[in-house]
Amino acid sequence: MNVARTTSDRPAPLRRRRAGRRQELFWGAVFLAPVLVSLVVLRIVPAVGAITSSLYKAFPGGIIPATYAGLQNYRSLFGDPNFNATIVRTILFNLVINPVQILVALLVAVLLVQRIPLVGLWRTLLFVPVTIPIVGSCIAWGAALNPEGPVNAIISALGGKPQPFFTSPGQALACIIVIASWIGIGYWMLFLVSGLQAIPEELYDAAKIDRAGPVRTFFHITLPMLRRPLLFVLVADTVANFVLFVPVQLLTGGGPQSSTTLLMFEAYRTSYAFGSRNLGAAQVVLLTVIMLFFVLLQFRLLREEGES
Amino acid sequence: MTTAQANVGLAAPTAGGSRRTGSRPMVTAVLTAVAVVVAAAFILPALWILIGSFRPTDDILSSMSPLTWQLFVPTHVTIDNYTRLLVDSGFSRALLNSAFVCVASVLIGLLVSSMAAYTLAVFRFPGRNLVFALVVISFMVPFEAIAIPLSQQFISWGLGNTLVGLILPGIGNGLAVFNLRQYFLGIPTSYREAAMLDGASEPRILFLLYLRISGPALTNSAVLIFLGQWTAYLWPLLVISDTRLQLAPVALASTFGERSADYGQNFAGTVLLALVPAISMLVLQRFFGRLSLTSGEK
Repeated sequence: MNVARTTSDRPAPLRRRRAGRRQELFWGAVFLAPVLVSLVVLRIVPAVGAITSSLYKAFPGGIIPATYAGLQNYRSLFGDPNFNATIVRTILFNLVINPVQILVALLVAVLLVQRIPLVGLWRTLLFVPVTIPIVGSCIAWGAALNPEGPVNAIISALGGKPQPFFTSPGQALACIIVIASWIGIGYWMLFLVSGLQAIPEELYDAAKIDRAGPVRTFFHITLPMLRRPLLFVLVADTVANFVLFVPVQLLTGGGPQSSTTLLMFEAYRTSYAFGSRNLGAAQVVLLTVIMLFFVLLQFRLLREEGES
Repeated sequence: MTTAQANVGLAAPTAGGSRRTGSRPMVTAVLTAVAVVVAAAFILPALWILIGSFRPTDDILSSMSPLTWQLFVPTHVTIDNYTRLLVDSGFSRALLNSAFVCVASVLIGLLVSSMAAYTLAVFRFPGRNLVFALVVISFMVPFEAIAIPLSQQFISWGLGNTLVGLILPGIGNGLAVFNLRQYFLGIPTSYREAAMLDGASEPRILFLLYLRISGPALTNSAVLIFLGQWTAYLWPLLVISDTRLQLAPVALASTFGERSADYGQNFAGTVLLALVPAISMLVLQRFFGRLSLTSGEK
C-alpha cells in the first residue's frame, strides 16, 4: 500500500479523481435511497394522506366511495361542543404538564449536580422509571392508585381522606399527569444535568468574586447558560405530551365523563372504534397543527428571551 | 426552610462548584436528605412492582391497605407469577415476537442509517446539508402523530398482521443517522483516501473500514432503534389484530384489562418487559446525557 502510494500514484491523480467522483455519485444514490424511500413512505405519504383524507367524507364502513367535502369535516368538528372541550382540555393539559415537568426536572437536576454523597446513585434511582416501558408504568400506577391501593393507604396513614383517583372526573387527568411525570422527570433531568455540567466553572468563580448571591447567580449565569438544553427539553417534552396515549387508552378510556379524553386518544377512537377515518384524519391534522404552534411559540419565546 | 434549601441548591450548580466554608457540612446534610426523599419517591413504585412480581396476587392485595411494612415485605416468595405468565399465557410468544421485531429492526435500521450517514458525512454533493436536515427533521416529527394515517396505508398495502409491517417503521431513525454521521465526520479522511488508493470500493470502505471502527456510535444507534421497537405500543395496536403476532407491550396491556385483579402476573410481565431497557439504558446512561448536548447545540 505504501509503495503504491509513493510510486504509481503521482502520474494519474486526475483520472482517478474523476473515476472516484462518478463512483461517489453512484454509491451516494444507492446509499441514500433506502432512507429517502422510507422518509417518503413512512412520513410524507401518510401526512399527505391524512390531509387529503380529512377533506373527504364517507360513511363508516367504506362501501360507498368517499366524496370531496372541502372543510366540512373541520366545520362539523368545531361545531361539536364535545370536540371543542377536548381541544381545550388537551391544551390546558399541556400548559400544566410541560412547565411542571421541566421545572421539577430542573430543580432536581440542580440538586443532583451538588457535591453530596452518592450523587450518582440518586441520579440513577431517578432514572429507573424511564427504563420501564410505559405500559408497565401504567400498570404499576393503575394498581397503586386503585381506591383501595397503597397510595390511599399512605394518605390514610398520614391522616388524610382516601381519594377516588381514576374514578373521579376531577382527579383522573391529574393522575395521568402524575404517571407521565414519574417517567418524564428523570428523563429530562438527565439532559439538564449534562447541560449544567457543561457550564464553565470560571463563570461561577467570577460570580463569587463579584459577590453575587445564589439567586442572582442562578438567574444571571445558570439559567442563561442553560437556555439551549432547556429549550430542547421543553420542546421535546411538549411533543411527547401532545401525543401521550398509553395511560388514557389503558387506564381511563377517556373517562370518567370524558375528563381524560385528550386529542390523541380522540383521534384514535374516532378512526378505529367509531370507524370514521375522514373525521379521524381531520383530528390528526388538527393535533399536529396545534402541537407545531406550541413548538414554534416556545422557540420564539425562548430565543428572544436569550437575545434581549 | 424550603427557600433556604432552594437558594443553597442554586448557589453551586456544578459538581465541582463553590467550596463554601462554614455551614458546608450542614448544607450537604440537608441537600442529601432532599435527594434521598426525591429518589425514594421515584424508586418506591418500581420496587413495589419488582417485589410484587415475586409474591402471590392475594399477598399483594392484602398488603396494599392499610399501610404496613408488609407492603414491601412479602410473606411468601414465589416465581409462580413468572412461570404462569410464560408457560400458560401467550406472553412468551409475544416476547419472542418483540425480540424478533427488535433484532430485525436493529439490523436493517443500522444498515439503512449507516449508509445514509456515510453518504452525508464523506461525499460532497450539492444539497447535502439540505438532505441531511430533511432526514433528521422529518424523523423528529413524533411517530404517534403519523401512526393512525400510516396504519391505514399499511393495512391497505396488505402489511396489517405481518411482521414486516411491524419492522418497517423502526428502520427509519433520524437520530441514528444524525448520531452515526457525527461519528463518521470524526474519522480522518486520510483513512478513506488510503483505502481508495488500494482500490477499495465505497461499500468496502463503509462496511470494512468505517463500521469496524464505529462501535460506540453503532451501539448507541442500535439501542435507540431497539428501545423504540421494544416499547412500541400504539403501532402494534393499530396494525396487528392477530393475537399470535402481537408484541409484548400490547399483550401485557390486554392481560391487565382482562384479569384486572391478577396483579402478580401483571407485575411479572412489567418486570420482564423492563429488564432489557433497564440494563441497556443504565449501561448507556452517560450517552443519553451527551446526546442532549449535541442536540441542544444544533
